Amino acid sequence: MSSDQDHLKETDTEARFEFKKEENSAVRSGKGLTEEVIRMISEDKDEPDWMLERRLRALKQYQNMPMPTDWPGMPDLSELDIEEIVPYIRPDVDKREGVDDWEELPEDIKDTFDKLGIPEAEKNALSGVGAQYESEVVYQNMQEQWEEKGVIFMNMDEAVREHPELVKEHFMTSCVPPSDNKFAALHGAVWSGGSFVYVPEDVTVEMPVQAYFRMNSEGMGQFEHTLIIAEEGSEVHYIEGCSAPKYGTHNLHSGGVEVFVGEDAHVQYSTVQNWSKNTFNLNTKRAIVEANGTMEWVSGSMGSKATMLYPCTILKGRGATDTHITIAFAGEGQDIDTGAKVYHNAPETSSTIESKSISKDGGRTNYRGLVHIADGAENSSTAVECDALMFDNESTSDTMPYMEIEESKVDVAHEATVGKIGDEDIFYLQSRGLDDDDAKKMIVAGFIEPITEELPIEYAVELNRLIELEMEGSLG
Amino acid sequence: MSAGTQVHANLTEEQVREISGDLDEPEWLLETRLEALEALEDLDMPDVIRTPGRDWTNLHELDFESLVDPLNAAENKDQVGPDEVEVLPWSEAVAEHEGLLQEHFGSIIDPQENYLTALSTALFSTGTVVYVPEGVDAEDVTIRTEQNSRSLFNYTLVVAEESSSVTILERQSTGAEQDEQYYSGIVEVAAGENSNVQYGSLQNLSEEAYNFALKRGDADTYATIDWIEVNLGTQLTKSGVSTELNGDSSETQIVGAFYGHNDQHFDLDAKVWHRAEHTTADLVTRGVTDDVARSVYEGVQDVGKDAWDTSSYQRENTLMLSDESEADASPKLIIKNHDTEASHSATVGQIDQEDLLYMTSRGVDPRSARNMLVEGFFVPVLEEIAVDELREDLEELIGARLSKRE
Repeated sequence: MSSDQDHLKETDTEARFEFKKEENSAVRSGKGLTEEVIRMISEDKDEPDWMLERRLRALKQYQNMPMPTDWPGMPDLSELDIEEIVPYIRPDVDKREGVDDWEELPEDIKDTFDKLGIPEAEKNALSGVGAQYESEVVYQNMQEQWEEKGVIFMNMDEAVREHPELVKEHFMTSCVPPSDNKFAALHGAVWSGGSFVYVPEDVTVEMPVQAYFRMNSEGMGQFEHTLIIAEEGSEVHYIEGCSAPKYGTHNLHSGGVEVFVGEDAHVQYSTVQNWSKNTFNLNTKRAIVEANGTMEWVSGSMGSKATMLYPCTILKGRGATDTHITIAFAGEGQDIDTGAKVYHNAPETSSTIESKSISKDGGRTNYRGLVHIADGAENSSTAVECDALMFDNESTSDTMPYMEIEESKVDVAHEATVGKIGDEDIFYLQSRGLDDDDAKKMIVAGFIEPITEELPIEYAVELNRLIELEMEGSLG
Repeated sequence: MSAGTQVHANLTEEQVREISGDLDEPEWLLETRLEALEALEDLDMPDVIRTPGRDWTNLHELDFESLVDPLNAAENKDQVGPDEVEVLPWSEAVAEHEGLLQEHFGSIIDPQENYLTALSTALFSTGTVVYVPEGVDAEDVTIRTEQNSRSLFNYTLVVAEESSSVTILERQSTGAEQDEQYYSGIVEVAAGENSNVQYGSLQNLSEEAYNFALKRGDADTYATIDWIEVNLGTQLTKSGVSTELNGDSSETQIVGAFYGHNDQHFDLDAKVWHRAEHTTADLVTRGVTDDVARSVYEGVQDVGKDAWDTSSYQRENTLMLSDESEADASPKLIIKNHDTEASHSATVGQIDQEDLLYMTSRGVDPRSARNMLVEGFFVPVLEEIAVDELREDLEELIGARLSKRE
């Protein structure tokens, strides 16, 4: 993993002095992702110079990196035209607005919200009117409750200005450097918004920290950055509530999540994502876990045209633990390529990965996972379990795990099964009076239960309802 | 980098013509060889697994220019079988069964599939054709190849006609040992309707040798192809065993065993393509890594869109006897038909300490206890080996290797 020092060396510090403010109109007419665009984003956010430098450095790295092409069975990204996506940002930055009114949301999205019975506060936030304000309120409530204990929870943009030292140290340095992959580099250049969570030593945040879906208002939520720092002995559960399709003509979401789990600390990161079906969802999420710390990922991946997402945990300290629980649902025209990566770099580390997927109406799901046990990570153990459920013969379900085991005193187990919905199960339920659809829904609900029971009840209900809606085929 | 630049410089069309001429081959076969030779320039090495930051096997480091000596092939070969089956050396097969060769040669494995298959096609100088006529049951076909030259390219074709059955045991070993050698073996099996082919292979080449092996079968309706793939020798082996289940209700079993010690590197794959209805596959591999040996295992169960009512199972277990060894595994499922029952499991671990404690507490000395547990680890695979001779040889070789441990 590259160090910050290396990144800094690559920075063209002179560029800073050549900076010349462009007129907005000139910027708007420019093509593609350029230095001017990046400078404009940074200026618009009133960022310190060091952040601008990091953005420009990431931009250079992005420009020098090839698109991933040679992964076996990877989703087709050929329709993804980044040059078409990025210019969209510019007018948005300029106008600082997305959808102004609930009524402007597309029908299917409004319909989803209505059917989900989304909490009123979230609905307001999603509707666009003062979304930023709404999310500030959410943050503020949190702050009032926890600020005396030193907990920080705020928008990432603000954190850059208000907590520069913490951000400077942790933002895309050791966890997800822009050099990690093409989309991490892109993210580093154009990131905007997201959450910053800091939990001081020995503080337990008893209620889940929830971030609502507030990015619409800036139009750049496609590149949100989440940074969670849990100091020694602390505990926090962060939930990203972007549990609805994102509005818009955007077709790229490239988020970044970085989690630092201190010694004996415990972080759970939960997310239920349901992107609009024209979205390419290409994220980088990673956690570094110190001795005896615990990281838990819980995620539901719905929606999107193509998703490539493999949350990664680096078990750095002795006795560190990781848990992944994921569910993927792919319907018509969708390719959900998700999984988990775990690097066991210290002794007595353990990980469990539980992955469930459902494919239907020609959708494809793939579990792509990497478990690496380094030489010296003795007495480590890992257990991976993948279960795939297929509804019909148009769909595809793949499993591609990779296990690299360099240490003998380990316990490594991987299991995967694929099957159709059991005719016998359906027959049984029908004989108890359920119709075919309800029987299938019930089987799916049972299938995904390990995920839903990890989520707070409102998210579990939401996830269940989203899957029910998908199964009804009532949404485009 | 295209791999083709490596050895191409010291290979010539004349050499290929000479090999083909010595075997008295027809024009079409020479053409196939020459085309493969020419294709070398554009072909890549066989696929290897890549994960962030590393290739699991590096074939590009092989110095083919010094390893390949096309006109100096030497071997000691046994090709025997019962009377009702034809077990023919390549030159005889060319003379007597040209039609059979024309139909099957290169039909299951594309000669230009990759750089190493093309190299093998252009240069093979020895081979065996096993022809099992309709309705014939034949056991005990033996093909033994002892390599006595720097490089040796071997080709094997098995044609089992309708309702026939055959058991073949192939062994590769090294005779007069040289520093480094390259052995390349291609095996194509065409299993006709309702036929049953069992193909066992025991690779016990010198530990200085490099080995490329590719075996593939095409199973017609109701046919069964069972593979036994044992790898013990070489410093680097890249071996692939696969079956295409192209006929309804066809079946395959791939049983693998390996034991890597010192600095051996085994890159082994087992693949099955379910292409028809009611097909069944069972893949079982067990192996040991010791010292600084490394094993790389890829298992693929590919269920095509038309493969209704598929059953496909895969198990892979690696036992690591040393901390310095490495065991990598990637068992993959590719499922395009939902009327499928498929599962795979893979484990990596060390000898169970409780078992060891139990045995030593019963008075078995630790070294013997350990050896017994390793032998016991192979039992589930040994049980699947129906060929007595191969099973006994494997047991013996495992025992011998264990007794050499410090």
